[in-house]
Amino acid sequence: MKALMSVGALIGVVGILLLAGMTVGIVPSNAVRLLEGYMPVQVILELTLFVAGFTGISYLMASMGMAFPRFWQGILMWAFILVYLKFRVYPPIPFSVRAMYGTVSLVAIFMWVSANEEDWKKFKQPIMNVLDAKTGGIRILRYAYLIILPLLIGGFSYNAMVPKSEEPIELRTVHPAPPASTKVHGKTYTLQTSQNPYRINLEGKYDQDYSNAMTVEQGMGRLMKPNANPWDKDAQGYLKYVREGGEIFYQNCHFCHGDNLNGRGLHAFAFNPIPANFTDPGTIAQLQETFIFWRVSKGGIGLPNEAGPWASVMPPWEQHLTVDEIWKVVLFEYWHTGYYPRTWD
Amino acid sequence: MGRVAGKKLFSIMALCAMISLLLLPLAVSLPSLAIGADAPDAVKKEGEAKVEKGRDVYYKTEGIVVGAPAPKTVDGPKDYPRYNFESRVLLWFANQQHLYYGSFVLAVPIFCMVIEFMGMVTKDKAMAKRYDQLAYDFIKISLTAYSITAILGGILIFTFLTLYPAFFGYLSSIFRPVMHIYALMFVAESGTIYIYYYGWDKMKEGFLKWIHLSMSVVLNVIGTLLMFLANSWIGFMMSPAGVDEQGRFLGNIWHVIHTALWNPLNVHRILGNMAFGGGVVAAYAAYKFLASKTDEDRAHYDWMGYIAMALGVAFLIPLPFAGYWLMREVYAYRQQMGITLMGGLLAWLFIIQATMIGILFLSTNYYLWQALGRMRGAEKYQRYIKYLVFVLCIGFLVFITPHTIVMTPAELKAMGGQQHPVLGNYGVMSAKNGGINVIITTTILSFVWYMRGNKVSTVSWSKFGNIFMGIFFGCAYVNIIWLAIYGYYIPANVRVGLSVPQVATTLSCLFFMFALNGLMMKGAKQMGAIEWGKISVRSQYALIMLATAFTWMMGLMGYIRSSVRLFWHVNEIMRDNSPWAYTHTVGFAANMISFNVLFFWFSILFVFWLGSLGVKKAPVEAKAGVPGGAPQPVEGH
Repeated sequence: MKALMSVGALIGVVGILLLAGMTVGIVPSNAVRLLEGYMPVQVILELTLFVAGFTGISYLMASMGMAFPRFWQGILMWAFILVYLKFRVYPPIPFSVRAMYGTVSLVAIFMWVSANEEDWKKFKQPIMNVLDAKTGGIRILRYAYLIILPLLIGGFSYNAMVPKSEEPIELRTVHPAPPASTKVHGKTYTLQTSQNPYRINLEGKYDQDYSNAMTVEQGMGRLMKPNANPWDKDAQGYLKYVREGGEIFYQNCHFCHGDNLNGRGLHAFAFNPIPANFTDPGTIAQLQETFIFWRVSKGGIGLPNEAGPWASVMPPWEQHLTVDEIWKVVLFEYWHTGYYPRTWD
Repeated sequence: MGRVAGKKLFSIMALCAMISLLLLPLAVSLPSLAIGADAPDAVKKEGEAKVEKGRDVYYKTEGIVVGAPAPKTVDGPKDYPRYNFESRVLLWFANQQHLYYGSFVLAVPIFCMVIEFMGMVTKDKAMAKRYDQLAYDFIKISLTAYSITAILGGILIFTFLTLYPAFFGYLSSIFRPVMHIYALMFVAESGTIYIYYYGWDKMKEGFLKWIHLSMSVVLNVIGTLLMFLANSWIGFMMSPAGVDEQGRFLGNIWHVIHTALWNPLNVHRILGNMAFGGGVVAAYAAYKFLASKTDEDRAHYDWMGYIAMALGVAFLIPLPFAGYWLMREVYAYRQQMGITLMGGLLAWLFIIQATMIGILFLSTNYYLWQALGRMRGAEKYQRYIKYLVFVLCIGFLVFITPHTIVMTPAELKAMGGQQHPVLGNYGVMSAKNGGINVIITTTILSFVWYMRGNKVSTVSWSKFGNIFMGIFFGCAYVNIIWLAIYGYYIPANVRVGLSVPQVATTLSCLFFMFALNGLMMKGAKQMGAIEWGKISVRSQYALIMLATAFTWMMGLMGYIRSSVRLFWHVNEIMRDNSPWAYTHTVGFAANMISFNVLFFWFSILFVFWLGSLGVKKAPVEAKAGVPGGAPQPVEGH
């Protein structure tokens, strides 16, 4: 048990040192890389390791007769979580989300330290000591709190209320609800039921399973499946249309959306927000093909009311592309990212 | 002997009266339906040559037009008479208060039925009396609330009639027979609840008690049907059926009732009502516990709070799954509606909802951990609570991560785009399903620990049983998390289907582990008694938190469900042309919900106070059966 806890403690100490380095800027945040595609799991695993490490440190200190007070365990644990979220995770997490995570962590720590009477007493003891103020030193400390706490609260309140010159926060709707139908080049398309005419099998029939089997494979990067190369000169049907869609994409779209479709094209950083990242599981992977068809056709100017503040400079591509070209581009985007369009059956 | 036979006769007559009351609305409404059916004939007679037909907007069937088209309203005193105030907000308030009380009085009789039944099948006579008294206490609370529900219902109808006459006129022209049945069922409900309450003492033993229990079944059948009928109106407003594109009724009342969202709404609402009712009663018990002066009272209200919480949570656990089904049906009905709810305009309200759901489960777990403190021998589990806290916290953090993040343009730029590579993954359904299932499974684990807190299994296979349970829970967590990750690598329609094995895993834990634990704890050695009343006050605040979160979430979800219609009174049929046909800001909605919650809690405190004024506090026999006259809770849990 002790050996296990020692390993845990070692992990905890290394972790704390790394995090301290990142906080003061000696160690860059990406010194221990967050692996693309695995980041969410990696972050949870790291937090689990840290908690295991702290358990080990606490155990070892207690076994050496230097038990760490529960009060400080709680306070430092919370401080650790806040620091981790602020300095370890990159790109930086917006304040609103950190505030949510911080609040939940605070509640969780309260639940931990007050889960039973013994722990709760241990946790409260330093607070009660200050309130009781039985010695002169602690009495001074109590007076100090009496002055400092109202000042701090006042300071926070002032800071929250004082007018700032920063741009206001925005609640931008990433996926506004689409209309029931959209009219492109004189033809009306019902979004719930329309299908991409080029997502077809060799017999020329709409076949999602067939096309899904030919999209690139996701994993550490994206790899073309064997015998599913759209740039093969013999490619027919679906793959041929993917190639045509790719050509249209690289002639028109990649300047903003990037050659890897991750929203980091040549001109991308001239805009805020940068163009949509199709490789993110929260964009085209969540949507029907017809949604993409509607967005590409109508562009930023065609966003509905609820999409305020309409921060999009996407052109209405129906003014530049034919309907067939738009469908082909959509086909290519799904193929390249390895995602499957949402269907309802 | 003669007296007993007389009572039997009385009881049977009472039951027959209730059943008659139950059937009365149906019988009376038949002519109404018949009139509806006659209407096409009338049309035929008037003009044999011209029978106008319409196509059902949902069922796509053809029917003879028997109703007027939905009115095309214009902003003005005719269609939208008003005070110098937003009519919609007044209606919101009246509706919400009626719903709170309605839910409460529908849920509590179901609890009474369950608890009364438990009392009847329990072999321990003292325990049976205590269950009986608890059921009586519950119905007593709901009786005053029942009157307030009726008053609020009246206020709601007057608000509709005076502020939205055109809309309400249209709705009532379509639902005429349903509204009559509804009103008559309300009469039946009233009759039944009063006979049930006032017959408690007269039907306290033997066969008569079974008759009394049967009355509670009848009462609950009426209550549930009432709710289903009310659901048909809101179902129609969201996903109309039985009318043509102009909103003209096509003569089939079943189509109008049985809309795309009616069934999921029914299931979701009944579970929600039960969870809400449990929360309110638990909060009542917590309030009484905190105000108690004696150990006996504390013991009683501690026990009452526990039972109410357990019943509430029993319905809370399947609630997210019912909600998931409802959302699935919403997406199937109209993609735009689903996206507006979960990915678009109202997405942030869903994040708040996720937060409230998390708070509910966290409060439940916290209460159970505190409850371990009143059992001697439960200390062995307390040292592991910190790990449960960690697992719950991670599940909660993933569950509440927003897909649409609130941020400044500077933060947006620093993040390098709208999508965050970590948060973006937590913000979608696959991760969230994993998060909520982890939370629920952990809650089940907490319950298992609680149920075996002061016991040591004596069965010969206890070691094997413990290992099996450990492995089962371990595998459940692995399966849930694995499926959550796997969901990113498969098509969306398959991913949606993954929720089935995830839910099955969670429910397997619930049923198999509870059953196995029950078998292992049969004849178990007691390490010490449950010291009812010796629970921390923090636990009681957790119960109050639980109830408040239920109330707030109910208000929130009602608002979301209603506002998803956007600028429609009846989706795609009747447009809202009032000046308030816009969606409120998140902040305004949150304030309004908070106001409704506060008003409800202040008014329900009044109801509790009224209840405490009652001279007769418990059935005479139940009181007499308890030593010392004070209620003593049971030893089991």
